[in-house]
Amino acid sequence: MSSSYPKFAVVGHPNKGKSSIVASLALDDSIQIGNTPGTTQVKRAFPLKVDGKIVYELFDTPGFQRARRVYAWLEEHGDVPASKRVDVVKEFVHRHRDNERFRDEVELLEPIINGAGVIYVVDASKPYGAEYEIEMEILRWCGQPSMAILNLIGDDDYREEWSRALGQYFRLVRTYNPMTASYKEHIELLESMAQLNEDWTKPIKQAIDALNRHYELKIEQTISTISDYMIKVLSFVHKQKIRGEEATPTEKKRAKEAYKKKILSYEHKEQESVEKIWQHNGVEKSKEELNLERCGLFSEESASIFGLSQKELIITGASAGAITGGGLDLLVAGSSFFLGTLIGGVVGGVGAMYGFNNLYELRVLGQSIGKRELSVGPMQNLNFPYIVLGRALYHASLMAKRSHATRGVIELKNISFTEEIISSESRKILEKVHIKLRKGKEITKEEQEEYTSTLHKSFLELLKS
Amino acid sequence: MQQKTTQLSLKSYLDLNQLLTIYKGSHEENRLFSLSQKNRNSIVILLAWLEKNLYRVTSELESAKYLHYLTLFSSLFGFIALILGFSTGFALLSYSGSEPVNVIYLLLVMVGLPLLSMLLSLLSIIFGNRGANFFAHLSPLYYLERVVNFLPFAKKIEFSSLPFSATLSKWIFLQRVQIFSFLFSLGLFLALILMIISKDIAFGWSTTLQVDAKSFQTLLATLSLPWREFIPSAVPSLELVELSHYFRLGKHLDSNMIHNADKLGAWWKFLAMATLTYALGLRLIFWGVTSYLFKQQLKKEFLSLNGVSKLIKEFQTPFVSTQSHKDEKHLEIKENIVHKVEENVDEEYQAILGWNFSDEQLLLIEDSLSIKAKIKEPVGGKNSFLDDKNIIDKLKGDILIYVKAWEPPTMDFMDFLEDVLDNSSIKSVNIAPLGTAESQYKYTQEDMEIWLRKLESIDSDKLGVVNV
Ligand SMILES: Nc1nc2c(ncn2[C@@H]2O[C@H](COP(=O)(O)OP(=O)(O)OP(=O)(O)O)[C@@H](O)[C@H]2O)c(=O)[nH]1
Ligand SMILES: [Mg+2]
Repeated sequence: MSSSYPKFAVVGHPNKGKSSIVASLALDDSIQIGNTPGTTQVKRAFPLKVDGKIVYELFDTPGFQRARRVYAWLEEHGDVPASKRVDVVKEFVHRHRDNERFRDEVELLEPIINGAGVIYVVDASKPYGAEYEIEMEILRWCGQPSMAILNLIGDDDYREEWSRALGQYFRLVRTYNPMTASYKEHIELLESMAQLNEDWTKPIKQAIDALNRHYELKIEQTISTISDYMIKVLSFVHKQKIRGEEATPTEKKRAKEAYKKKILSYEHKEQESVEKIWQHNGVEKSKEELNLERCGLFSEESASIFGLSQKELIITGASAGAITGGGLDLLVAGSSFFLGTLIGGVVGGVGAMYGFNNLYELRVLGQSIGKRELSVGPMQNLNFPYIVLGRALYHASLMAKRSHATRGVIELKNISFTEEIISSESRKILEKVHIKLRKGKEITKEEQEEYTSTLHKSFLELLKS
Repeated sequence: MQQKTTQLSLKSYLDLNQLLTIYKGSHEENRLFSLSQKNRNSIVILLAWLEKNLYRVTSELESAKYLHYLTLFSSLFGFIALILGFSTGFALLSYSGSEPVNVIYLLLVMVGLPLLSMLLSLLSIIFGNRGANFFAHLSPLYYLERVVNFLPFAKKIEFSSLPFSATLSKWIFLQRVQIFSFLFSLGLFLALILMIISKDIAFGWSTTLQVDAKSFQTLLATLSLPWREFIPSAVPSLELVELSHYFRLGKHLDSNMIHNADKLGAWWKFLAMATLTYALGLRLIFWGVTSYLFKQQLKKEFLSLNGVSKLIKEFQTPFVSTQSHKDEKHLEIKENIVHKVEENVDEEYQAILGWNFSDEQLLLIEDSLSIKAKIKEPVGGKNSFLDDKNIIDKLKGDILIYVKAWEPPTMDFMDFLEDVLDNSSIKSVNIAPLGTAESQYKYTQEDMEIWLRKLESIDSDKLGVVNV
């Protein structure tokens, strides 16, 4: 009656992180996790499906509540050879299905007697206790392949004594921290699970392969989302009608507000899509709103969080002088970008400083009164693209690395970022596109591709760090 | 199962572009769709995907508009080309009667001009994009394009919103140009045939250059190479060439010519064959080549439309789902805690029980906390229920139960506690959650709250929680 795919029941004492481990492995942040013992009340299946076909299935279960009683029952009815012990467990489950007292045990034993492998979770940041042996004995009676996971909820480390005890009951003992586990560790745990049973090796390998490809896809989709977003934000122009000859201060203010609001809504949407790509559905963010005014206030001493320092800007070629240079070589078909930038940079000299305070370009368009328009954007501030991009990449990397067991609020600030993440070489490539967008020009497919692949590289770096 | 094979065409290209701006599908849908297709070719799957989802575009199809104008424009120009060809032919062949029709002149228009235009096409094929701009200026097409832009309907289509690259537009144009030129030559050809049938035309040749009949005939024979084998009569003989040489500045028409006027008519076969071969046949080849190159470019741009690479990636990447399909009924968590932790602890109890502690651990605890009791017993742990029961039965007075603060209270403990509370000779039961030995038995607030919350479910005056 057991189906062909491997199943794993994550079991253990209450409150030891079973649900957290399942959430992390199943990339599901909807699982209830809480420090109240007994948070999980019924078992819940998390099938990993590839193209709709189940490859393996994980079960989150409630913790043992009356292990001693169960064990007493088993011993009382279990005067049978070891090979028949599982039948006694089955009988226990059968007899107590409607017994409220053993609800948790029935829930957790059921998948196991139906063929699931056992993943026994303990908190190895707390000392070992002999009372756990009862639980392990019960599991041993089930006769299923089994492994133990050492979770470290607290700061201390009792893994050594735990390993000694667990080693007597389980073939494999692994450390896995569901809150901080990287993708690599996730895969390594799956590889361990594959070792539990020869028949399971192939399906788990298949799952790993599919997960890997899926992971790549998620990275690609993230990058293309960010790249589209950058182009939208950097080339965005807000237009509105004005009444008179000149725009009044209120009109100007309103236009700036509208412009700002749109930029923020772009960021919001971008972050939402990225969160969706990484399957984080309920992320709370405490973040500093993208501050458009402040990215201009930028002195050599006070390095902004995401933007580039003055020096970096000049090196990148984003300085005012370099723009002239950049513009120059766009004319000669981009062949001498570097040279042009160099010359521009030198000629521009101190002119580089000017760029910082050009925030919005306000322009009045149109001839006849009543048809005149006020336009804001594209943003002229030279640091703006790096601030926007820095935030987007950083947010995306948080999402990519974030465990689905985490429930906390994420912080989107206080990260010094630019130097390591975007090398000055890459910045030059990015800046080429930024310059064009700032001027309201269209960029070509090739340019966007180059831009995207540069972002891709930076993002991979960020994922490693 | 019917499998319509949609062809890659300008229409599908434009439609996909339009569809992708409003709908991209989810990875799951797209992957399942690709798995349902027999053919693994990306383009075929994309076309089938387009067919399946095109209904989602509810506004007018851009392709309909664009193709309508393209067809209109093409038929218009095609027709003009045909008429132009015909009337040119008609004009050229109009035989004044005083002078024969100059074959050289005819050859230039009927063969030379097409060859020149083919050369231009060839150059723009070979030099691709970069050359295209330069050669474009040489080509009448360039100006034609300008003209098209002035046409009233051209403004109705927003050309800028169409995804064509310059290269693709070039191929569209080049391909059509081959058709127009073909039609022009066809017009010429028809005019020739018509004039031959309805009139008796004397052909001759004349040039200012010093060309003798012999070398002129060699040139003509070379041109006739493709059909010399099959239709020898369509190769002008030396005799014919000599006969039909005339000099405009000569005082009179050669009497020979007048004499042999009927023979001079033999030229037409050559002219017809030359037009058929060079202007029409070769043009068809050009048309084939440009059509092929157009298709290739279309394929390339089809695959690089915005969003297509994402689609293809999704077609090819297995869809993995890991989440549960059933929703979880979330547990309500009580927030307020009524129980108070008693800070004043007696120095001595009637009994101290250690839940899940061993004898040695109890000794260590006594040593460290110096709370005394006559009876000190480990309970829970690996004890049997009978062991525990025997211990409970002998208890009386005030008792203290040590528990591991970090281990949440299980129902096993709660059962035990109830049994203890049921013992009427026990006056009070004090639960003392302890931290680890390493932390000098100090519990954390968090752990304590878990215990307090759990113990709230027991309603008994005898029960208290203490901080030892
Ligand atoms: N810091 C940290 N906390 C963890 C870790 N694993 C679990 N926790 C916390 O431990 C508590 C219990 O986690 P759960 O995953 O709900 O534990 P459980 O075993 O499913 O609990 P029950 O369903 O009640 O049996 C939660 O507050 C988690 O946030 C970890 O690796 N690190
Ligand atoms: Mg749980």
